[in-house]
Amino acid sequence: MTTPTVQLAPPKPAAKDGFELAGELPMATQAAVPFIEIETLRAKEFLPAAREALTSLIAEQGQAKVIRPVFNWAGRNSLFPLHWGLACCAIEFAAAFGARWDAERFGVVPRSSPRQCDLMIVNGTVTWKVAHKLITLYEQMPEPKWVIAMGNCATGGGPFRTAYSVVPGVDKLVPVDVYIAGCPPRPEAMLDGILKLEELIRERKE
Amino acid sequence: MQPDDLSRALGPKLGDGLLSVEAFPGTAGRVRFRAERALDLFRAVRDDLHFGHLSMVGGIDWVDHREVFYVAWSDEARQYVFLSADVPATAPRIESASAVWPSANWHERETWEMVGITFENHPDLRHLLMPDGYVFNPLLRSFKLHEPEELEVKARHV
Repeated sequence: MTTPTVQLAPPKPAAKDGFELAGELPMATQAAVPFIEIETLRAKEFLPAAREALTSLIAEQGQAKVIRPVFNWAGRNSLFPLHWGLACCAIEFAAAFGARWDAERFGVVPRSSPRQCDLMIVNGTVTWKVAHKLITLYEQMPEPKWVIAMGNCATGGGPFRTAYSVVPGVDKLVPVDVYIAGCPPRPEAMLDGILKLEELIRERKE
Repeated sequence: MQPDDLSRALGPKLGDGLLSVEAFPGTAGRVRFRAERALDLFRAVRDDLHFGHLSMVGGIDWVDHREVFYVAWSDEARQYVFLSADVPATAPRIESASAVWPSANWHERETWEMVGITFENHPDLRHLLMPDGYVFNPLLRSFKLHEPEELEVKARHV
């Protein structure tokens, strides 16, 4: 590493109307070690010690026990649901991301591509016509992935349970982790469901 | 336009293909015709009577027979006309109106999948509201509302 070169302060600007600029900005006149080099020095000391501590912890407790909580912590605080809507529940879904409820507080950011998502919120009536598309979207999502059935229609068909065109519950098509009741559920209920899912992810073992 | 005007204009063209013309509330009249003469009637209604817009096509299951009905709108008369034909339940077939009114296309697809009436010479007769391969006609009276589990078994045909 090169030793920090002392840089001389630029010449003082001429006083103008009795006001000195350099007097107001002490850093401008002082030579200093650049900030980035201080950080490099600290990291060089810190990283070996941290690596040694982590290695001994893993050897003592097992890899799954040490790393899994970190993954779960990261996963449950960055749930990305698929940005789609099937029926009126999608209005409440949209409201939950508005200014009033602001689901992004919990790291929930809707994404437009299923390949960027790990959470599918089925918000509305699932018909047999859309069933194929729903399964395709679910299969496009990378593991690990979760499904929330939002509202009565996605949970069990709702008022259209016996209709000829409606899937009586989205759990006939994909595995569901959390069911949210309501017709439609309020945004608070949707956020509560997401927090319930976060509890599930916290306990995740494999 | 009155029912008499309709029968006066359509009678010479269709002959015995025209069964009756009755008054029908809110329309120029209800024209009942033989299903075999459907295309002649559609052409006469569009070209001679100037009902240029086909507003809807539908079907009714009367158990012993089925009825296909058409509602057409005339911009000149500012009136609807109601056309209906009976088809036997054993062979529910009728000529497609798509050649005369292109807007019949999707309506006939829906009528085909819901009531099971086959429209001959339709350009693209496939499912509209139900997934491809759906084997039931849900608006027939013989179709029962099913328990979800039973419907699920049925939907595996899909």
